[in-house]
Amino acid sequence: MSYLFCMWLVLLILGLVAVASNPAPYFAALGLVVVAGAGCAVLAGFGASFLAVVLFLIYLGGMLVVFAYSAALAAEPHPEGWWDVSVLEYVIFYLVGVGVAVAYFSSEWYNYLLPVVSVCKEFFVLCEDVGGVGVMYSLGGGLLVICASVLLLSLFVVLELVRGASRGALRAV
Amino acid sequence: MNPYVLSILLISLGLGTTLTFMSSHWLLAWMGLEINTLAIIPLMAQKHHPRAVEATTKYFLIQATAAAMILFAASTNAWICGQWDINQMSHPLTSAMTMTALALKIGLAPLHLWLPEVLQGITLTTGLILSTWQKLAPLALIIQTANNTHPFLLTTLALCSTLVGGWGGLNQTQLRKILAYSSIAHLGWMILVSQMAPQMTIIALITYIVMTTAAFLMLNNINSTKIITLASAWTKAPALTALTCLVLLSLGGLPPLTGFMPKWLIIQELANQGLAATATIIALTALLSLYFYLRLTHALTLTLSPQITNATTPWRTPNKQPTLALSLFTIMATCLLPITPTIFTLMT
Repeated sequence: MSYLFCMWLVLLILGLVAVASNPAPYFAALGLVVVAGAGCAVLAGFGASFLAVVLFLIYLGGMLVVFAYSAALAAEPHPEGWWDVSVLEYVIFYLVGVGVAVAYFSSEWYNYLLPVVSVCKEFFVLCEDVGGVGVMYSLGGGLLVICASVLLLSLFVVLELVRGASRGALRAV
Repeated sequence: MNPYVLSILLISLGLGTTLTFMSSHWLLAWMGLEINTLAIIPLMAQKHHPRAVEATTKYFLIQATAAAMILFAASTNAWICGQWDINQMSHPLTSAMTMTALALKIGLAPLHLWLPEVLQGITLTTGLILSTWQKLAPLALIIQTANNTHPFLLTTLALCSTLVGGWGGLNQTQLRKILAYSSIAHLGWMILVSQMAPQMTIIALITYIVMTTAAFLMLNNINSTKIITLASAWTKAPALTALTCLVLLSLGGLPPLTGFMPKWLIIQELANQGLAATATIIALTALLSLYFYLRLTHALTLTLSPQITNATTPWRTPNKQPTLALSLFTIMATCLLPITPTIFTLMT
């Protein structure tokens, strides 16, 4: 389990490096797929399996597909790979940065990491995240109403920004 | 824009700031900030013009970055200290990160570079909302977290802001950029005392809002965004032009006007705290700001170009624009200094 877990964490970091270093949106989308998948695996490993499924379905299944689709329509036809010198510089820079941070924080951050893995989970019938869902719908009802109204607001915002071919805001007319 | 959509956006703008004001929990405060950002975006891109859209995009990217940093700092704080309370963000790492993110949100130097660019791209009325109402929520958070922030960070941000706000405005010919730099400089004054006397921050904020509202409304009334059009402003509204000069000098902080009050009280507070060097530096940087306000005043009222206006002068025709808010804010921006003790007692 620990080895598998380490693999997911390393994959998460490598995916983030891939997103941050490459300017082409195709490869950024690919890196985000890796990040989202590995992140969901890490969440599931920490015991938040419901949260992991929600994140996987909504983020990867919904948002990222639309992003990849629109990127495929808009991006340049000859993107740079990770082995071009301009991108490779960033890859090496970020990897060295991560290595330095790990070397610097390895003694103290492990203490923060360790208790999260198993916070007295033997005492609960439900997982923490399933319990959290219940609390969200009972105690956090008011906040859910606000969240729903913000979703409505963002619908209006997006419609106002992109409506009409002649009044399209995102291109010069 | 459809009036229904406009009212939804304006109500949401109010809701975001109110949520941030009332929250003691970082997550709710973050939600309020995000609602604010979302609601202002269609207002900024209202004129479908490439410059406005560019400004909107820049604003959205910067605000989203700052909000993500705030969320990151708050969740890190919850991870380390186990609580989400705004007043008790005691870990030095997270409080410094939060203050940096809030500085990015309201445009304090050295994180100010987006503000002049964004303000230059949008209309004067939207610019007015951006430089007054949009500052309220982050400033409320700054006042609440300033107690736990390292004073060095606050003083650095403040002195950088007043210096950059003065220097950056020196060679500008665009009025909206000058107002943006004036905003940066004023925010620097507010941040400087936010730790030792938060009520001074509020006094400075109120006077800044009054003065900058008067300035924006006046420029909107004479429909001018460049210094060169200021020179012919007297043909449109002679009395208003004379008053604009006073409002600009009030922004600069000259004694018989309202703008002197926050500077006076803040420098007094700094002297009481024994920070003579800081007080001297910040008073000297105010001179830089005063220079470009004087330059505007010079172009506006002190010179008259030696030419004959060969059209009917527009001031002979009645002005159809609403002037109630303009007159109220002009009076407040010029005449509030005598009631300084009242305001001071009200705030403390």
